[in-house]
Amino acid sequence: MLSNIIDGISRQKRVIIAIGFILLLAVGLMGLTAAPAGAASMLAATPVANAGADVNITAGETIKFDGSASVASDGATIENYTWNFTIFPGTPAHEVYGVSPTYEFDVSVVGGLAVFVNLTVTDSAGLNATDQMVVVIREKPQTFFEKYWLEIFLIGIAAILLSRPVYFVSKSIITGQPIVTDASREKTRLTLQKDRKIFGELMRNPMGAIGVIILVFFAGLAIFGPTIAPYDVKVIDTSNKMQLPSPDHWMGTDSLGIDIFSELLYGARTSIIVGMVSALIASFLGAAVGLYSGYVGGWKDETVMRLNDIVLSIPWLVLMIVVAAFLGQIDLTGIILIIGLTGWSTTARMVRAQVLSIRERQYIERARSIGAGEIDIIRRHVFPNTFPLIFANTILTVAVSILSEATLSFLGLRPAGEVTWGTMLSYAQEASAFQIGLHWWILAPGLCIVVVVLGFTLLGYALDEILNPKLKHR
Amino acid sequence: MARKSFRRVLMKRVFNVFLTIIGIMVLNFFLIHLMPGDPISNMIPRSPKFDVSLKWELQEKFHLNDSMPEQLAWYIWNTFTLDWGTSYMANERPVFDIIISDMRWTMLLVGVSTFFTLLLGMAIGAYSAYRRGGAFDVGSTAVSLFFYGMPIFWLAILLQILFTTHPIGISWWPQLPPGGYYDTDTYGAELKWTLPVVLSMMKYLILPSLTLAVGTVAGVSLVMRSSLIDTMTDDYILTAKAKGLTDYQVLRHHALPNGLPPMIALIAMDVAFIIGGAYQVEYIFNYPGIGWRTIKSIGDLDFPILQFIVVIGGVAVVIANFLSDLVLIYIDPRIKIS
Repeated sequence: MLSNIIDGISRQKRVIIAIGFILLLAVGLMGLTAAPAGAASMLAATPVANAGADVNITAGETIKFDGSASVASDGATIENYTWNFTIFPGTPAHEVYGVSPTYEFDVSVVGGLAVFVNLTVTDSAGLNATDQMVVVIREKPQTFFEKYWLEIFLIGIAAILLSRPVYFVSKSIITGQPIVTDASREKTRLTLQKDRKIFGELMRNPMGAIGVIILVFFAGLAIFGPTIAPYDVKVIDTSNKMQLPSPDHWMGTDSLGIDIFSELLYGARTSIIVGMVSALIASFLGAAVGLYSGYVGGWKDETVMRLNDIVLSIPWLVLMIVVAAFLGQIDLTGIILIIGLTGWSTTARMVRAQVLSIRERQYIERARSIGAGEIDIIRRHVFPNTFPLIFANTILTVAVSILSEATLSFLGLRPAGEVTWGTMLSYAQEASAFQIGLHWWILAPGLCIVVVVLGFTLLGYALDEILNPKLKHR
Repeated sequence: MARKSFRRVLMKRVFNVFLTIIGIMVLNFFLIHLMPGDPISNMIPRSPKFDVSLKWELQEKFHLNDSMPEQLAWYIWNTFTLDWGTSYMANERPVFDIIISDMRWTMLLVGVSTFFTLLLGMAIGAYSAYRRGGAFDVGSTAVSLFFYGMPIFWLAILLQILFTTHPIGISWWPQLPPGGYYDTDTYGAELKWTLPVVLSMMKYLILPSLTLAVGTVAGVSLVMRSSLIDTMTDDYILTAKAKGLTDYQVLRHHALPNGLPPMIALIAMDVAFIIGGAYQVEYIFNYPGIGWRTIKSIGDLDFPILQFIVVIGGVAVVIANFLSDLVLIYIDPRIKIS
């Protein structure tokens, strides 16, 4: 009989009825869940806070938090509502207080995975109560540029590097000259021979060999880590949080129920990318400033060096914290820029010192005498002579940048929505992981940082020893 | 002639130091004042009953209604007249008092750890350069490189855990306080300079200074080693050996004096690094020094404190570099000529 009735209703109507039924059910359920709280408050002398049920939203949506279901203690009225938002993973908690029970919050500025919302109500009797709700944020579909900015950046660099060979090849095709002349073949052979010699020396140098082995291992982790990770680090499961190490979770789970071992593998990629890209930025800026001011000299040099002194003198950590606070909400690009833009002064100073001695060489004077321009001399004669030094220094800067990122993340300036070794340590410290028994949560990321930094430092020192003519014969 | 040029170099250096300090102040001022957020709304009491006119009064009091250049001028004028104003937070205590009282603790921490760092670092570096390629050299270089790449905050956490628990149930394992600057429960929060307080202070200082020393000793020993190796391969060392001097005499009278100048320059450069390390150590061990105060002030948007506390770090670095320059000119006759 029931099926007859259902068959008699059109498809559209059926859907509407179903939705209505579900809505009714939802309202009923909400009433049921709200009812015990209300009943309890009638007897209790303390107020009861009600921040509402947990919700799932997509990043970019605005949620209206409603605490009006909270009840004051007997005979009192609620005086104010304090909303405390802790964003995971993101910036330190921020707190909003007001007299109105509702508060609108634009989640697009958050960019985290989840927000823990604590509502504290204070009533006129001076009593207060707290309730927690969790907003789980699904990732906003990224725009093309947001998703692939790193690839665009790298392809851009590759294009700049390739533009010269492409230009020469096309020119020789157009003019009909042979592409590969004997001279260029000889040149390539010599370059290859030199490169092979340097690589051989590097592998014979114990520091260099160990450094290369460490870095190859971690490069593998950075490339394949997220693929071999047993769990997705962006899926939050609070029912599964703070699990001790077990065969399912080798290193346990963190305060959001995310597998720590998987986080470690994901962290390799972000930490190394942050280190390398910011070191590239710092080296590029430092080399440009050092080359120019060292070669030009005079008042321009003085000005640049005074500026450099200023940047070098402000304790780097404070400078970075203040710049980060100035940028407000930071993502991975923000962190990279902060570290890159504050780290150039040491490189600049070192390159300048080198340029000062190169500037007085005879071939520079000869180039000048045939009328070569400033920029041309710097590019063709000064830069190639300082390049080995800059190269070795860049690799040492990568080590420093990885350390800086970890320190910044640890002090609470975490890139929103990203897992790095620094953010892992920061959350582990907040959750006092060691006392719970999650030893790996603190030990593993720290050890990874130490070993990667060691790898870059060893490689940098070894290259410096091989490429720096001053150190070579001793 | 030489004297006159020395005076001129000195004048130029002093002028540069002055210029750099002004530059640090200006940069710092703009960075801090461009930070998002309104310090006044952090100060007002969190109660619906508060009076809005209080906010305007406070803005007036702290010159926050003036334009940026006016505020900058006030800032520089006040710095040199030592009228550093009062903190927004902390019961409006004078900033000068706060900074001076915090500085004592940072000086104590940095002083103790730097003393041991230099002593240990130079000894290790000199010995491994002296026995270059030996077991001690390889071992100490490996250990130094390992600690060189260690985040100081991580080392601090590990040491804190190590000395506040009993690892694998060893009951006699020494226990050290995890944070603070002396036992305020027993001796009261008001600082009195009595013997038990000083002893307790030293006990509380062990972990922070050990962390800072371990974190920085590696850098010093590595630089000492490479600087000495540089001089040890020079020809005059060979001459000295050929004269029949003992190894110790060669090291003490020929290698060390020549290996020292780069060390001094690098120690001065290291001051910035040590201050950065001290910030992390103070943060983790809850040690109420300059670093702890800075991180707290950034959270509170306490402009008056930030304005001076960041500058003090910068000034310390500038002065350290200036002093190292002077010492270098004094001990290294080759520099005077240029």
